[in-house]
Amino acid sequence: MNVERMPNHAASGEVVVSGIAVGKTFADGTVIALDNTTFEIKRGSFVSLVGPSGCGKSTLLRLISGLITPTSGQISVHDTPVTGPRRDISMMFQKATLLEWRTSLENVLLPTEIAGTPTKADKNRALDLLKLVGLGDFAFSFPAQLSGGMQQRVALARLLQTGADILLLDEPFGALDEFTRERLNTELMRIVAEVGATTIFVTHNISEAIFLADQVFVMTSRPGRVAKIVDVDLERPRPLSIQTSPEFNRLVEDVRVTLGAV
Amino acid sequence: MPDSRPSRGYRFLDAMVRFVPHLVLLIVLLCLWEAAVATGMITSIMIPRPSAIGGAIVELYVTKGTIYKHFFITLTEAVVGFCIGAAIAVSLAVCSSLSDVFKRYVIPYAVVLNVTPGIALTPVVIAWFGYGMGSKMALAAILCFFPIFVNTLTGLVQIDEDREELFKSLGANNTQIFTKMRVPAALPLMFAGLKIGLTTALIGAVVAEFAQATDGVGVLMSRFSFQLNMAASIATLLSMTVIGLLLFYTMEFLDDRIVFWRRESRRAAASRARARSWQSQIGK
Ligand SMILES: Nc1ncnc2c1ncn2[C@@H]1O[C@H](COP(=O)(O)OP(=O)(O)O)[C@@H](O)[C@H]1O
Ligand SMILES: [Mg+2]
Repeated sequence: MNVERMPNHAASGEVVVSGIAVGKTFADGTVIALDNTTFEIKRGSFVSLVGPSGCGKSTLLRLISGLITPTSGQISVHDTPVTGPRRDISMMFQKATLLEWRTSLENVLLPTEIAGTPTKADKNRALDLLKLVGLGDFAFSFPAQLSGGMQQRVALARLLQTGADILLLDEPFGALDEFTRERLNTELMRIVAEVGATTIFVTHNISEAIFLADQVFVMTSRPGRVAKIVDVDLERPRPLSIQTSPEFNRLVEDVRVTLGAV
Repeated sequence: MPDSRPSRGYRFLDAMVRFVPHLVLLIVLLCLWEAAVATGMITSIMIPRPSAIGGAIVELYVTKGTIYKHFFITLTEAVVGFCIGAAIAVSLAVCSSLSDVFKRYVIPYAVVLNVTPGIALTPVVIAWFGYGMGSKMALAAILCFFPIFVNTLTGLVQIDEDREELFKSLGANNTQIFTKMRVPAALPLMFAGLKIGLTTALIGAVVAEFAQATDGVGVLMSRFSFQLNMAASIATLLSMTVIGLLLFYTMEFLDDRIVFWRRESRRAAASRARARSWQSQIGK
């Protein structure tokens, strides 16, 4: 039996992120970005948020990260209400957002610098993370010397450097070409399993959402809400070819019907 | 990474070869000028022959060496004035970027200073600071203030939403946001302002010398012009060109090193330097 990693919602029952009746409105209440959403995310699990654009995926992620506060309801992380950005949560965006005057290594070290003075161990860890994302040879390159995919890998290493055990990724590879995206997705799966982080991943690609996740939160718009939670009981590690299996296609169908039904 | 740049010697030769046509053009123009004066097409009292200017250059710069004292005085006036003006401009820009209230109160004065022709302040500045170098530095400082202030402020207040969000999500405080994000992001624009400011500072120093002074290339030049010694006057003018070039390329050099990330050649050099310093610190 594969003891390395089982679908985690089965392996461990502890809830690390939860939301109770969470709502968020913008523009004096005229735009309901997220409506009355309740959910639980368990330790070490990989959750995908999928839905059409404008359905509140980024809003939900930003609420969990503490960048914005809910209009109603409450979000808790490790049983404490989220009131602002916190060290055990880290976020990655669609754009790499690297500082162009810093090398890859210095960009990865940014979170450590903000938290305090980086030690020798921190610096070695940053280099190890760059190796982990396959950029060991580009540690001293500047962002302008890297391709879009490589920049996004640096951003991923920076995300991991925070040491946060809850990782939020907002369409992290959405701006990359299909091939690069597929490869990075596979690596992301391997890496988060390796560090044992709880991961929330936003995408508008149904196959991608299912392929990566233990649970898919299917979101619909107007008002934005989680319409259905689909459990993905596919064995890990998952080869790319799993996407042609009948079981996988059944899940895709399930998500598609939910999205189309509203 | 293999070093694919051509060798130093080759690059030097290449630069020399490219320089030749420019040199030929310059010589042709000078010959035409010489011929025009020699044939009487131009009166030599107003416009001297290039050969006469050459003679004046030799006298001023080599045999008598009169120019050097004045050269360094003007250079000092321009540089000190620039440093004072730049220090005030950058400080006010930083304060304005940190406080909207401060900005609201400072901007009107900066605008008034800008729309008033700075050179028109010359008599006032000389009355305040005297005939010595002080008044030249003051006018240089006043003239370079505005371009540096505006460019630095524009650089500091530009907002990159994604970066703001990144820093906020990492729990950065305002000081960290300022030093690690705002300031480096503002450097390219700040240097653009400094380059303009350095040029206007030199104008300020020379104009104040023209108005009233005892030393400096401006004084020397107006003295020669009054004597209708146009050859010496133009030879002196060349020293201002030299000061201008000196200041401009010093700034270019600093810009290139400090804001290194815009040019690939500089990025590559910086990248190698970072790798080396890592090796000495951590590697082994
Ligand atoms: N800061 C904001 N101000 C006003 N409206 C916003 C803001 N952020 C998001 N919205 C609105 O909320 C809705 C959900 O946005 P978002 O969460 O970004 O969707 P998604 O990420 O799923 O594409 C959209 O209708 C969007 O226009
Ligand atoms: Mg979004």
